[in-house]
Amino acid sequence: MKRFWLIAVVLTLLVGSPALAHYQLLYTPLTALERGGEMLLKLVFTHPFEGGHTMDMAPVQEFYVVHQRGEEGEPRKTDLKEHLKQITWTSQGHAGKAYEARLPARIVRSMGDYVFVLVPGPYYEPADEEYIQQFTKLMLNVGGVPGNWHQPLGLPAEIVPLDKPYANWTGGIFRGVVMADGKPVPNAELEIEYLNYTPDMEKNAFAGKPKIEAPHPAFETIGIRANNRGEFAIGLPKAGWWGIAALGVGESEFDGKPVAREAVLWVQVTDLP
Amino acid sequence: MKTRGYLFVCVLLTGIAAFAAPAAAHTPLFSCFDNGDGTIFCEGGFSDGSSAAGTPILVKDGSGAVLLKTELTRNSEVELEKPAGAYTVVFDGGDGHQIEISGSQIFE
Repeated sequence: MKRFWLIAVVLTLLVGSPALAHYQLLYTPLTALERGGEMLLKLVFTHPFEGGHTMDMAPVQEFYVVHQRGEEGEPRKTDLKEHLKQITWTSQGHAGKAYEARLPARIVRSMGDYVFVLVPGPYYEPADEEYIQQFTKLMLNVGGVPGNWHQPLGLPAEIVPLDKPYANWTGGIFRGVVMADGKPVPNAELEIEYLNYTPDMEKNAFAGKPKIEAPHPAFETIGIRANNRGEFAIGLPKAGWWGIAALGVGESEFDGKPVAREAVLWVQVTDLP
Repeated sequence: MKTRGYLFVCVLLTGIAAFAAPAAAHTPLFSCFDNGDGTIFCEGGFSDGSSAAGTPILVKDGSGAVLLKTELTRNSEVELEKPAGAYTVVFDGGDGHQIEISGSQIFE
């Protein structure tokens, strides 16, 4: 009998572990834009592959965009917190507190790169008896003139791309560097998940059916390690969105408990026409 | 002499290739929008992120006559008076690097 319970606990831990892969989603449908204009973004703390439990987001600490047109252009930072509005996001059989941001056309109008940065308030994870704070980046481009997509912002936890996150063909690879305060994090632990449900921007929900079925939990959350320079590379086998999370990048304290600092970057993948 | 001649041609071709490569590797990009106050804002650049500062910009009327000739600033942008009637804005980056935007395609 003891053996049965031991096996049951081990199996629960093994099968259940992917459910712990939290991702701060920062989403807009298209990141390679011909022209700028009004934009709608959704900010949801979720599990992108299983689309299940949506965690209640704490109030946002920072939300801004850094725009740069051209390699020699001057980066311009615009605070976006005034555009945030709390919403309820519905996932598969569950709902949680999230945010949306409707940006007027003047913010994303000029050509160049737009690096969106979201620093949510720490989220308490009872299972780990600690808070999680994911420093999240989303990048988009207007008109094809590149700018600051590869520039570190010096965040406490950050994934700096070595390929443009908005220009990737299906079947390509994506590379990046895990950094803390602008310095590479050797051998950083990373998790990769596919955004398996299309976000419904009108209904504030994950739509219908999953796009893919994983043959094994290890395919739901793919774990990799960076090399000793903090660099990593992943394959991009399917069009859509891939979330990359770097875990244990640093630590701080909130409300008398530890805060695990993590970094998230979203990569959009496009099928060949 | 024959060997030296080949060497000269090779060096020349390598030099041409080296200098020609950047020009072939990037694409000019140009965009304008209407500020809604009687002016239009235009900006240029290249697909490799290099600057378009100093690129000549022409504003033509409906018949193709040049109304204004100016150039992109240090920040690769320029603000122009919006002409009355039909007009076109031309980014004149030289051979193969010209882009024309019709006024009807310039929105707020």
